[in-house]
Amino acid sequence: MRRFLLIFKMDIINLFKNPVLVGYNTLFAALLIFIMGFLTGGNDAHSKDAYQYYVVTLLIYGMLNGAMTASNCFMERDIKRPNLRIIYSPAGLFPIYFSKILSSFVFDYTLHLLLLAVLCPLLNVTLGIHPIFFVLLMAPVEFMAVALGILFCCIFHSEETTSSLLSLTISVLCFLGGTFFSFDGAGGALALITKLSPVKWLNDAFFALSCDNSLTLFWPVLIGASVISVLLVLGCRLFFRTEDYI
Amino acid sequence: MEHLMSVSHLTKSFKGNKVLNEISFNVHRGEALCILGPNGAGKTTTINILTAALGSDGGDIQFQGKPIGSQLRTYKQALGIVPQDVALYEELSAERNLSFFASLYGLHGNELKQAVDKALVFAGLDDRRHDKVKTFSGGMKRRLNIACAIAHDPELVIMDEPTVGIDPQSRNYILESIKKLRDHGMTVIYTTHYMEEVEVISSRIIIMDHGAIIAEGTKESLKEEIQNEKRYIIEVEENCGISHDDFFSVEGVKAAKIDGSIIEITSLKGIENLDRMIALLSNRGEKIRNITSENASLEMVFLKLTNRKLRD
Repeated sequence: MRRFLLIFKMDIINLFKNPVLVGYNTLFAALLIFIMGFLTGGNDAHSKDAYQYYVVTLLIYGMLNGAMTASNCFMERDIKRPNLRIIYSPAGLFPIYFSKILSSFVFDYTLHLLLLAVLCPLLNVTLGIHPIFFVLLMAPVEFMAVALGILFCCIFHSEETTSSLLSLTISVLCFLGGTFFSFDGAGGALALITKLSPVKWLNDAFFALSCDNSLTLFWPVLIGASVISVLLVLGCRLFFRTEDYI
Repeated sequence: MEHLMSVSHLTKSFKGNKVLNEISFNVHRGEALCILGPNGAGKTTTINILTAALGSDGGDIQFQGKPIGSQLRTYKQALGIVPQDVALYEELSAERNLSFFASLYGLHGNELKQAVDKALVFAGLDDRRHDKVKTFSGGMKRRLNIACAIAHDPELVIMDEPTVGIDPQSRNYILESIKKLRDHGMTVIYTTHYMEEVEVISSRIIIMDHGAIIAEGTKESLKEEIQNEKRYIIEVEENCGISHDDFFSVEGVKAAKIDGSIIEITSLKGIENLDRMIALLSNRGEKIRNITSENASLEMVFLKLTNRKLRD
């Protein structure tokens, strides 16, 4: 346990010392919300709705992109080499990938909470009458995303491949799920495709909490994301091989 | 001599290509065992299997009389590994790197502090302990790379070409440090393709080529195999068509190799035949630019065994 905590602490330090990752999860996310909210809402009465929409959807987009934070933490060239020493040490294999998952989760979750703490009062955005449920629901989604990033690294043995594949997949799913533009009013095939995107389910769950104060989708999403997270960690255990690191 | 490690019939293939072919050797306690071979000989694969980072397809490795698989944590605790690439956190200081890696081996508190101080002195980086690694020169990083492997005072240090790409001054520093480790009784396995490093630090040598061990022994015993031989390297201005077979007409010549304008001849020692070689070349119209000769060396041993230069 002591060794795991040492590795975890080192991973956290490395993540918070990475200006690109910190900037991407804070400044870039905030800027994207400002731009999208301003372009679609303007300065009139619609602006509040627009910011409400984009804070939620782009936050989900940021949470899912946590997969890239994890892959960076696990296999980025400058990190991968010193990580090799952890493989050589008597620390065991589980702490190697699990500490990357946990540290990426803590990193992303902390920065996204910070983002909400700044943006909600600034843009007059609400998280519902029970914001704790909103914040609670973020946790398994964040965890699921970072575990997915690590599993892809274990399978493809490369940060570049993982980032390319996940970036494309997440962007497409988010686009179809209405992250950038809502397709709720669209009919026919587009409406069907939108409904099939898992991002749409996440959007619906978070909007239900923040706008309707409804918990109807809270438990299904919480349990679903938690079960998927466990399966992804088990997948990491199955696919992680030390030779991929050497 | 007591065996610290025994490797027997180690085999490894990658995509059907056999890179290690049933290699067996022992590592004696307190020795510096150099594994010598050209690129692609199987040195790094051997090291990766010894460090338990890579599995083998067959064979057995015993450490202190027990298979390493049955005591993996104990085995890893006893190892210090210097990987081929510099494996350090660039954004952290030398002290922080050492402290982190040593603590993975269970050191903490005062014991950790002392180990870090000692390793910094060993690496000659005591005065740069608080500086970030990214501000270090290549040689300093290499020294710290080694210090990180020995800070926890391992029984066996495995070094995979630790001097690649560094300046001669840093290389000398590292070689002297390794000699000190050896003299203090630490067991070292060292892979390299630099013959001069082997000459300086080795207690015993294993020569590998094409995934097999082709010779094993001390410097002296290996050189003994060719002590009756002498090598001439003759550089001609332009090769006018002389073939290596032509040299066998000269008494004492055992082998000849022609590579462009360079002719390498292995001859029996004690037979004065250089003048006849020169005459042969002159008769064929070759203009000699330079002649050098050398007595038994590890380079010659390697050449004899593999028929190729170490860095080919």
